[in-house]
Amino acid sequence: MSDWGMQKAALGERLTGGRQHATGKVVAIPNLLAFLKAVIRSGDRVCLEGDNQKQADILAVALANLDPRDVHDLHMVQSGVVLPAHLDIFEKGIARRLDFSYSGPQSARIARMLFGGKIELGAVHTYLELFARYFIDLTPNVALIAAVSADKDGNLYTGPNTEDTPTVVEATSYKNGFVVAQVTEIVDKVPRVDIPGDLVHFVVEANRPFYVEPLFTRDPAAITETQILTAMLAIKGIYAPYGVRRLNHGIGFNTAAIELLLPTYGEKLGLKGKVCTHFALNPHPTMIPAIEAGWVEQIHCFGSEVGMEDYVAARSDVFFTGPDGSLRSNRAFCQTAGLYACDMFIGSTLQIDLEGHSSTVMTSRIAGFGGAPNMGSDPRGRRHPSEPWLKAGAEADPDCNAALRRGRKLVVQIGETFGERNTPLFVERLDALDLAQELKLDLAPVMVYSDDVTHIVTEEGIANLLMCRSKDEREQAIRGVAGYTEIGRARDANLVEQLRQRGVIQRPEDLGIDPLDADRNLLAARSIKDLMLASGGLYRPPSRFRNW
Amino acid sequence: MTAVTANDVSLSWYEASARQRIDALVDAGSFCEFIGPELREISPHLSIFDLPAQFDDGIVIGRGRLDGASVLVAAQEGRFMGGAFGEVHGAKLTGLLRAARTLKQDVVILFDSGGVRLQEANAGELAIAEIMRAVIEARRARVNVVGLIGGRAGCYGGGSLIAGTCSRLIISEQGRLSVSGPEVIETNKGIEEFDSRDRALVWRTMGGKHRYLIGGADAFVEDEALAFRQAAIAALGAKRGCNAAALEAEQKRLERRLQRFGEVEDAIEIWQTLGIDDPTDVPALPTGAFLRAANDRENADDAR
Repeated sequence: MSDWGMQKAALGERLTGGRQHATGKVVAIPNLLAFLKAVIRSGDRVCLEGDNQKQADILAVALANLDPRDVHDLHMVQSGVVLPAHLDIFEKGIARRLDFSYSGPQSARIARMLFGGKIELGAVHTYLELFARYFIDLTPNVALIAAVSADKDGNLYTGPNTEDTPTVVEATSYKNGFVVAQVTEIVDKVPRVDIPGDLVHFVVEANRPFYVEPLFTRDPAAITETQILTAMLAIKGIYAPYGVRRLNHGIGFNTAAIELLLPTYGEKLGLKGKVCTHFALNPHPTMIPAIEAGWVEQIHCFGSEVGMEDYVAARSDVFFTGPDGSLRSNRAFCQTAGLYACDMFIGSTLQIDLEGHSSTVMTSRIAGFGGAPNMGSDPRGRRHPSEPWLKAGAEADPDCNAALRRGRKLVVQIGETFGERNTPLFVERLDALDLAQELKLDLAPVMVYSDDVTHIVTEEGIANLLMCRSKDEREQAIRGVAGYTEIGRARDANLVEQLRQRGVIQRPEDLGIDPLDADRNLLAARSIKDLMLASGGLYRPPSRFRNW
Repeated sequence: MTAVTANDVSLSWYEASARQRIDALVDAGSFCEFIGPELREISPHLSIFDLPAQFDDGIVIGRGRLDGASVLVAAQEGRFMGGAFGEVHGAKLTGLLRAARTLKQDVVILFDSGGVRLQEANAGELAIAEIMRAVIEARRARVNVVGLIGGRAGCYGGGSLIAGTCSRLIISEQGRLSVSGPEVIETNKGIEEFDSRDRALVWRTMGGKHRYLIGGADAFVEDEALAFRQAAIAALGAKRGCNAAALEAEQKRLERRLQRFGEVEDAIEIWQTLGIDDPTDVPALPTGAFLRAANDRENADDAR
């Protein structure tokens, strides 16, 4: 066969095209449009780097400014559809097909465009799932990525927000793909080499940092007493009895409350060193008091968090840092760690149905998944034992031969029975089903499937779904903690009481918790300023979070 | 490593409810409430809008002792309708101030208010006018009226106008004092004029430190009930009375202040002009260091 080497030849053509608009490997901003036009071909599979945190924003805007007569029918394969430009690319007809993971702020527009036929949807993935497909059937032809600095050879320093970059570059560059990085500045020597220069074909000097969203900052001032109560229930009713040391926390005020209760309520329960010692977690500012109080041994991060850079660098005993001192994050590795090396995921959700399926889809929005379904799922490939995993497995199947019994990952959904604007957390039917119908999707966008969730925590108590033996019991266990929602009001009082006798449902009083003790005084920090002070001034919150 | 413990030693003024603030402010057990919730003097307007009422209409008034001396106290509850003034709410404060004048007893007002309640705006606006008159009349009768600002709702709109008539104002870093709130300014003048979501900007424009530096408040205290109590005791000892000469002097000062700072774009420039060495550091300074740096601040003197 005489056609071997076609991919290398195609790459060669792109390189030749690109060099006409570059000096060495460096592309100046005024030449960026002509450069992209010269290196991107219609029909290319393009990975535009961006997730729920960092964004290759300059390259995104430039791509959206191409003329669809020159470049069209791109297939975008990217973690996040977050910036307006990401959808402008489709609006203008530059791209047609989309495979992605997370959309957050663009969730309503993406749904409208799917409905209007502007986007041909491949699938909505979890991060790890999309990364996996980069190496099998969604390998990019072109990757447009973001870094902090580069040298003239293209060696990249990604700083604390390394995130997806190594994965994207690995999949693209080693498969004859073409890699362009936007960097804040070109330097003589990068502080550390996060991406070797021979994998990077061109760099664009943007003269300003790539955009990063402070997605994981929760202001302790907004934590309610109900959220504190749910946090107390989770700590005393789940963390303590299972001895959960390795875990991941979702974003949300309930888990932020847990983080802020560790050094106070957790300390009082004598749990220091026994729970919450190892995390797969972004550097949440609300973790500062627990870290400072010596609770945490180690944290591996998906990404960084705006303002936490100096704090993380000063706490390299806890965080993974490079020789330059700053955080090294890596989304693919951290997602893998969260899947296989953590015994618990706990996070908030927006809707839970009677079987225990949960979803963050409400009305006509496709917010995507991000990492939560991966964190919040039981890994069937896990083989190493741990106390919480074995205990959960035994609860699920007490009669099985212990040596042949799988353990279970604890997957905990936590929330108030009525959420924002008094929306009930519990529903007969997930909005996700309507959305799937409307958009003719094969799968309803479910965040955590019912067979993965093990516990539901609300201010009414904890429902342990592992101990439910039938579909009916499961439904009553869920109704039993659904409070005054329609779902809760339709419970069978006798069955719920029986479940409570068996410990399937535990009320605050069953755990020795007085709801009146759920007071904001229990929080180790009650404001962003308290967090800054607890960090010894190392945490520098962004302006929009500072009330001083 | 720093040990972090629960914040149960001191009471955060910002976090506390109106009743908790009063309890922590006055001598232990000395507070006696007037027209308490058991009398159910609720707003006659809110039910029209299908809004929940509160039995004290969001303000607690009564008498207590402060360092042994009898004082009248009013505390707004910022968690009910943002502490906004309605008909009953306003009437309770007006009545308290008129009693103060008759009884010759000093008053402490614990502000926590977004201004006038929109649902009963006419009654609320009238109440503001009546309260301002009652404050001045009380002061003319040599009664001191001290305002405390450090609640979650800040002190905005009509609340800020009343604050302007007080004998002394005490503020914490968390406290905000301004006629128009951030969202109001942004809505009317655009995000270019004021980005209401930039909280650091909000605080350096309306927050306690800035107000203290430009003479908008007379004492700056830590966000602690005990600090407010001590500052209130000191402020009640301020020079009594209120006359045209003091007001004219204040008017002149404000004119000078406008000349001096009227063109300034950002509070940081004002702080620089006031001779603060590292003006950008002001927001981060702890109370002691801030008070030292604030030596050459603007001062409203006896106008308040």
